[in-house]
Amino acid sequence: MADKVLMPKQGNSVESCIIVSWLKKEGDAVSAGDIICEVETDKATIEVESSFEGTMLKTFYEEEADVPVHNLIALIGEPGEDISMYSADEDNGDDPVQEEKKISVEAEVIESAPVVAAVEEEGKRLGSPRAMNLATFKGLDIRTVQGTGPEGRIIERDILALTKDYPSISPAAIEELLKSGRPMPVKGSGIGGRILLDDVQNSSVVESSSMAIPVVKGDFPGPVNEVKVRGIRKITAQHMFDSLSMTAQLTLNSSVDATALLALRKKFKNSEESLGLQKITINDLILYAVAKTLPQFPEMNEHFLGDKIVQFEKVHLGCAVNTERGLLVPVIKDAGSYSLRELSGKGKELFSAAAEGKSNPDDLAGGTFTITNLGSMGIESFTPVLNKPEVGILGVCSVSLKPVQVDEEVRFIPHMGLSLTFDHQAVDGAPAAAFLKALVSAIKNIDLLMAM
Amino acid sequence: MPRSQAVDPIAIRKSEVLKIKDIPVNQYKPDIKKELKKYGEKGLKNIYYDMLMIREFEMMLNSIKTEGSYQGITYNHRGPAHLSAGQESAAVGQSYNLTADDFIFGSHRSHGEILSKSFSAIRQMGEKDLTGIMENFFGGDCLKVVEKGFKNGDTSDLAENFILYGALAEIFARSTGFNKGLGGSMHTFFSPFGSMPNNAIVGGSADVSMGSALYKRVNRKKGIVIGNIGDASLGCGPVWEALSMGSMDQYNTLWDKDLGGAPPWMLNIFNNFYGMGGQTSGETMGYGMAARVGAGVNPDNMHTERVDGFNPLAVADAMERKKELLLAGKGPVFMETITYRLSGHSPSDAASYRTKEEMDAFKEHDSLLSYGAYLLENGVITESEQGDMKAKIVDKITNTMSLAINDEVSPHVNGAFIESVMFSNGNEPKLDDREPEVLLPKEENPMVKTNAKKNRFAYDEKGKPYSAARTFTLRDGLFEAMIHRFYEDPTMIAYGEENRDWGGAFAVYRGLTEALPYHRLFNSSISEAAIVGSAVGYAMSGGRAVAELMYCDFMGRAGDEIFNQMPKWQSMSGGVLKMPLVLRVSVGNKYGAQHSQDWTALAAHIPGLKVMFPTTPYDAKGMLNLALRGTDPVIFFESQKLYGIGEMFETDGVPEGYYEVEEGEPAIRREGKDLTILTIGSTLYTALDAAEKLNSEHGVEAEVIDMRFMNPLNYEKIIASVKKTGKILLASDASERGSFLHTTASHISRQAFDYLDAPPVVVGAMNWITPPAEMEEFFFPSADWMVDAVHEQILPLKGYSSKSNQTNGELMRRNREGV
Repeated sequence: MADKVLMPKQGNSVESCIIVSWLKKEGDAVSAGDIICEVETDKATIEVESSFEGTMLKTFYEEEADVPVHNLIALIGEPGEDISMYSADEDNGDDPVQEEKKISVEAEVIESAPVVAAVEEEGKRLGSPRAMNLATFKGLDIRTVQGTGPEGRIIERDILALTKDYPSISPAAIEELLKSGRPMPVKGSGIGGRILLDDVQNSSVVESSSMAIPVVKGDFPGPVNEVKVRGIRKITAQHMFDSLSMTAQLTLNSSVDATALLALRKKFKNSEESLGLQKITINDLILYAVAKTLPQFPEMNEHFLGDKIVQFEKVHLGCAVNTERGLLVPVIKDAGSYSLRELSGKGKELFSAAAEGKSNPDDLAGGTFTITNLGSMGIESFTPVLNKPEVGILGVCSVSLKPVQVDEEVRFIPHMGLSLTFDHQAVDGAPAAAFLKALVSAIKNIDLLMAM
Repeated sequence: MPRSQAVDPIAIRKSEVLKIKDIPVNQYKPDIKKELKKYGEKGLKNIYYDMLMIREFEMMLNSIKTEGSYQGITYNHRGPAHLSAGQESAAVGQSYNLTADDFIFGSHRSHGEILSKSFSAIRQMGEKDLTGIMENFFGGDCLKVVEKGFKNGDTSDLAENFILYGALAEIFARSTGFNKGLGGSMHTFFSPFGSMPNNAIVGGSADVSMGSALYKRVNRKKGIVIGNIGDASLGCGPVWEALSMGSMDQYNTLWDKDLGGAPPWMLNIFNNFYGMGGQTSGETMGYGMAARVGAGVNPDNMHTERVDGFNPLAVADAMERKKELLLAGKGPVFMETITYRLSGHSPSDAASYRTKEEMDAFKEHDSLLSYGAYLLENGVITESEQGDMKAKIVDKITNTMSLAINDEVSPHVNGAFIESVMFSNGNEPKLDDREPEVLLPKEENPMVKTNAKKNRFAYDEKGKPYSAARTFTLRDGLFEAMIHRFYEDPTMIAYGEENRDWGGAFAVYRGLTEALPYHRLFNSSISEAAIVGSAVGYAMSGGRAVAELMYCDFMGRAGDEIFNQMPKWQSMSGGVLKMPLVLRVSVGNKYGAQHSQDWTALAAHIPGLKVMFPTTPYDAKGMLNLALRGTDPVIFFESQKLYGIGEMFETDGVPEGYYEVEEGEPAIRREGKDLTILTIGSTLYTALDAAEKLNSEHGVEAEVIDMRFMNPLNYEKIIASVKKTGKILLASDASERGSFLHTTASHISRQAFDYLDAPPVVVGAMNWITPPAEMEEFFFPSADWMVDAVHEQILPLKGYSSKSNQTNGELMRRNREGV
């Protein structure tokens, strides 16, 4: 009996995914843990792993096909096996309403102990406490798991079978995760990437590697490498084009005295480790300043939808992150409600997930304002492109010394460039400039802002 | 079964008539001249004073219980008060000729005995001794209250007040009482004056006091021991067992002559003619006079007689004569002291079982009145002296009461204190410094020599087991612990059925007969209650006892002694007493329903007992060493399946020297990551078979843990294992329902809940009788049952078919059917 590979459901809002490429073709040998194909949602690319051993017997869709989640996409089994009874549009019980009521169970038949579907009765746990805990750590939705324990109970081995290629984690690290409630680190420092206690305790953002800039030289045109436009690239292309062709965006440039900002950052860096402030970055401080300033300018914190404008009370702050896969914009929901330290922590969690390609698609949507930071690249000013339907995006530029006349003398004071792009369809120049001015004031007096 | 004495068939078949000697009844003849000469005016007055004091003490309690006040002071006493008003003459008469070295044990109705025994001792003691005793008792806690709260006269008067206050504070459950308030009315005592524990179990003091007398004889201590029990307790089996064991021929025929004969033990019946409401002579018993009982025990009639307890001088006279006999080793003595309780059994007594006429008739014979009149008639005392005495006593009792009910002066202990006296947790290698009495140097012992040639690990270098004769076994491990302690602690004795000559039914003591004189290792009568009860008395008196019950199943025969005496005295005494008593019981098999039960759950259920069950030679020695150097009562379980096994786990073998196993620590016998199996007793070896099957046939690596200790038990290793494996099977040969493993399983569920991948599952023996050996396979857990339970309840095994029914439906059915 062949094993079925279903289109995974990644995030509550995802209803279908596009198959980007098949890494295993029909006839290929497949081991458990092999990546069968890459699929993408509107925000992220996901690798679909095999939980099974065998031969790829059938792939039901071509690349580029948009496939509803939970649909059968491939079969793995013994060569020559009869697979005529399977079809692509097979109902796999993925109705979200039904899902609350029953769990589809693929029965791995165990003689004399027939596997019974784990029925979710009121008050009954689906799995053993141990299995439930493990599923939580591994980020697995227990309702999608088939139990092989007594009376169909989901037991540890069921979770292990599905997650064996998830990062391994030491018991002490699990204890720490339980105790601290920290996010699971993306990578471990132990042998084979095993997550150790230290990793949990120091759980932080993985710094994104600096972009490799290809150097073009030699004969024209020289060797070329054709890269198919797909995945995030394709999505980004569409988004950018739409933004520039469908909005009336323009950019205001300003700069801000960064003395207090740099001093505060330095102070954090040198603070007691136990305070947990050492890893707060300039970017975190800008996020914080924006999150605190925006609520006073509701016209900058809105969506322009052509026939209506939706203003948001809460600030859902997007932040552009460059990843190996391309540009992603994780969104910190209700960023105004966080303390600086919490904001920094939340940001790191989301950014590192994005960098690893493990973002929950739900975390990549819903922004009301975006920040993009090219400061580390020495950019002094630029024109950020709006993340439609948002009406504002702030470009954060590098810090450079700027001569300023103080009384009779001229002093060189570090200034940071700020480039605010706004949609003139929704906002006029004066209010946008007023927002930028307020932001400049907030950043200049960041230490005072902190005290508010 | 001593080979030195043969049973002669001709002698036993001879035709003759067994003549019972005459039993004296109320033979005392008052003679004031002689009495004055013997006791002096002072002595006779003291007797009256003590009787008057006891009467007032009891009437104070009666007044509090029935009216809620005494002398206008109100108090609600929530506990019991079994009063002895009317019986004062019997108690005071008995105590008159006793010293502090003489011990009396009593019943639930013993306030009078505590007071009379203590007052008598006080009068005989020097000032310095009295002060020392009072100052050292609980660091002077009780004394401080008395010094401050009374207008004390001389040291004797202070000591008298000390006794009154200590006893009443104890009755009112105060921390300044004799037993920190944990004994109360029915149990309290004051041992420095020879008042030993009183017992709320009817007849409970019979075997305990006999064991105390055994202690005095074996350890050559001064004094006699009296067990005071009521007439109705003659219906209790353990009382008859005490009579049997207390009168064994061997004290005279086999024990060393220089020891001094039979234990100096007297069983005295304070016969007040009623057992609560049952009329003993006429309704519930058939002896006519209780004194008759002595005639049924030994050819001396146990020197029995009925004494007129209404006359304190008759009792004092009898006691003087009996004490002489006992000190000469001619005991034991049985005595019936008749008396009458004027008050009810307890304040709730409606006197529905006796008539007013009867009670009025006895009021005419009230000993307090008649003895007072006797002294008046003979000019020993005047009415005004009597009046002064009464006034002084009322004043003392009033003052005692107001101090004892004052929560500031006399507070109650807290829970932490009660917990602190549940065990004494001592480490006392010997309880006396004298040289232990032994018959030959240890190294010359034949068994020691044989053991020296044995292999102390079960397997040779090639992993082949040694032959049985060449293997050092679990039995040998027990022997080494026993002989070690016998040669260390001079007070240690061991006894039970077939302990000498035979070497114990399972040959654990083989070699000890050669090593020890009779009084340190002997065969007892088949009296399980008295075996354990006497060991309790022996241990609380200061010695170390190892009692043996042959089969675990026989614990039922000693139920009260194991459940109410052994575990309770350390804590009921408020930490005054220690209980260095190890009770060895053996879990059997092959002998059917009454010889094959594992009752660890019963023992572990009772607070105050330590419960151990070793399963390897290493542990047998190390755990018995631990038990034998402690000061707490231990039920030491052994398995008959395991006496002959060698050491399979400690590769260095069983050490020749002394060592102990750490208390409360389970042992991991096999490591594994997938499943934990926890066992009690010999089931360990079955579980190891199951682990092997699981590994070789199913790739499941089981960790096997041997519980070893049921109480105290450190769960850390078990919980750590369960956290690792997420799964636990618990197995033992005890019947499943109520097995101790269910207690363990419940703790594990609670402490490792979030780590569990399946519920903890208990596999026990069936809830049936243990069938004959031929059918045991249907009854005891097998390796297959364990694998089946894993498959059905914990971790379904691919391709596996169960061989037994371990499903929830079956569990439901069995419970519904009660089997």
